[in-house]
Amino acid sequence: MTALIVGASSGLGRVLVQTLAEKGYSLLLIASESRDLDAIAADLRLRFNSAVTYLALDFSVESDPGRKIQIVLQDLPPLRILLLPLGYSCFDDDFSSNTKQIDLLLKINLSAPLVIIQSLLPQLLANQGIVVGFGSIAAVRGRGRNVVYAAAKRGLQSYFESLHHRYEESELKSHFYQLGFMQSNLTFGLSLPPLPVTSPEKVAREVIRRLGCKSGTFYLPTWWGLIALVIKILPLKLFRKLKS
Amino acid sequence: MNLEKSPSVRGLALATTQYTSFDRQYSCSTSAQRPDRYRLIEALDDDMPRIARGSGVSYVAASFGQECTVQEMAAFNRFLAFDSERGLLKVEAGVRIADVLRFTLKHGWYLPVVPGHPAASVGGCIAADVHGKNPARDRTFHAWLQNIEIYHPARGTVSADSDVNTELFEASCGGFGLTGTILNATLRLVPAPSGMAIERIPVKNLGEAAWVLKKHTNVEMLYGWHNGLVSGGSFGRGVIWVGRPYDVLPIVSSTRARDLPSQLKIWPWRCWNHATLKAANTWLETRWRRADKITRSLAATFFPLNDSGPYFSAFGPAGLVEVQWLIPHATFFTFYEELEYLSSRLKPLIALMSSKLFVGNATGLGFAGEGIALSLQLAAPQKQHAFLEALTDLAIRHGGRPNLIKDSTLTASIVKQTIPNFTVLRTRLKQQNPGEVYCSELSRRLAL
Repeated sequence: MTALIVGASSGLGRVLVQTLAEKGYSLLLIASESRDLDAIAADLRLRFNSAVTYLALDFSVESDPGRKIQIVLQDLPPLRILLLPLGYSCFDDDFSSNTKQIDLLLKINLSAPLVIIQSLLPQLLANQGIVVGFGSIAAVRGRGRNVVYAAAKRGLQSYFESLHHRYEESELKSHFYQLGFMQSNLTFGLSLPPLPVTSPEKVAREVIRRLGCKSGTFYLPTWWGLIALVIKILPLKLFRKLKS
Repeated sequence: MNLEKSPSVRGLALATTQYTSFDRQYSCSTSAQRPDRYRLIEALDDDMPRIARGSGVSYVAASFGQECTVQEMAAFNRFLAFDSERGLLKVEAGVRIADVLRFTLKHGWYLPVVPGHPAASVGGCIAADVHGKNPARDRTFHAWLQNIEIYHPARGTVSADSDVNTELFEASCGGFGLTGTILNATLRLVPAPSGMAIERIPVKNLGEAAWVLKKHTNVEMLYGWHNGLVSGGSFGRGVIWVGRPYDVLPIVSSTRARDLPSQLKIWPWRCWNHATLKAANTWLETRWRRADKITRSLAATFFPLNDSGPYFSAFGPAGLVEVQWLIPHATFFTFYEELEYLSSRLKPLIALMSSKLFVGNATGLGFAGEGIALSLQLAAPQKQHAFLEALTDLAIRHGGRPNLIKDSTLTASIVKQTIPNFTVLRTRLKQQNPGEVYCSELSRRLAL
């Protein structure tokens, strides 16, 4: 069975790839640049003897990523797992973004995952597949920062809720993870509230461990569910005072 | 934290980060980047001062400095190609040397020159041109390097080896990271014996140690441990470790359950003083100062520092100073006699003294040449100025060559006096660093 990882060259995606390689999955990796994918694929082949194929797709310019992925999948074992740990945020996503920036944020965080899932649904359904998406704690309640990013991630969550609603567990499993603070290039240098920051390794282990579990939306680490609840019910006046 | 992001390159993030050298003699806050994709290495403005950082385990501040953006290369830790017929391994610069050893031993090969710290990155080993367990036989890292790919904003990414871009290749080995960001390297391996038969030879003093070292030039492992707190003709009493291949043991690829971490938890106070150091040295002498032969797996012989976490932590917040001088054979005996006198007079807190034999010619700024290398680690550096000054003077008078990557007490003036052709070598280094965009505390302190 093939596991497809979109956003495989960085942060959580890269750790997920290694975790799956250790477990012996056949892998199809997708990221924006082939020189990064080339290095990851070589490493996985040497260290884990993995069957790895990769495809460089830049979602900021790619018009039909689903079709290109379909072509590559033709030569691989049946697709069973689709992981979408891709994401992009920018510092000035605070109502000052221009059209190009908004377009990029929406493409990477929302459009690309949706287009890819829709395109691969027939294979996933045929193989009783699993699709895993990743949201962010930043999208629990809209704020004056990460405006478009949070909107896109909330949109993605809604799409996963629709998948859950439409398909039985026996047809397709859909997992959507709301991630708390995690060490990554996205959070490097950010002034974060004084809460524990988890590692991509811990998150990846948990995501892979739960692959056989029922569909749903989950918080990782799980205690972020409580924080999210507090954020949701906090009166607006108080919520506005939370700068970060 | 101060965050800047350039909208021009997706994923570029810079943040102010605090760095401290391994010997704890220099700290500063500076901007840092943790690139995890190749485009992010190239994302900084072309004229932005920078330096690549591997694991940050150099004793001195070679991988950071004021107003110099640090590019942390830890994410570039992938194995790229392995030729099991010819023993060639291509790895990214951020791969840790212990991981190289684990991988190669699994395939029946090993890299002869490996530094003491398992976390040292391959890029760091090239930049410092480190030596291994017997530099007299195996020379330095340079001797086992086939090729590098290196990025500099002025010339992009180029390949360099002994045939192509030779000057860049030579300047990068022992170039302290100032010739560009090393992206990957191809290493030359040799077939691995399954283990090492290690002989312990007790020596009465440093003079006898030099004699024993010279007698065993061609063995796989050769270094000495010495007690620096005894006098009366016994200064440097200790043991020489002599390791030869041993092929009866099964090859074991794991070094230990845990490597020494690159970041140690420093104890809140200094535990090393005359009494504790004397006790520690006595304990080690009791363990080691009798002739013995043991066999160990190759993996277990490479990283003696794995057992040294508490030793380094016990230096406390003030840290330590390591000085390492290569003293020519012709002057070594008078050098050590005068060193013994200095030590008995000034009572320095010598926590560790070790010796190695060097053979060969020094062609760059790295630590190489012919003679006996003597390393001293001193506790409470702020109280050792008199001894350190006297030792420097003594080493200079005896034709000594310092190790720039280990000794944070060195100045530009000392280096100029002790490295032959220093001005020519510095010019050669600068020619490979257009605009001098690569810099560090080390390069500024030594005017490299």
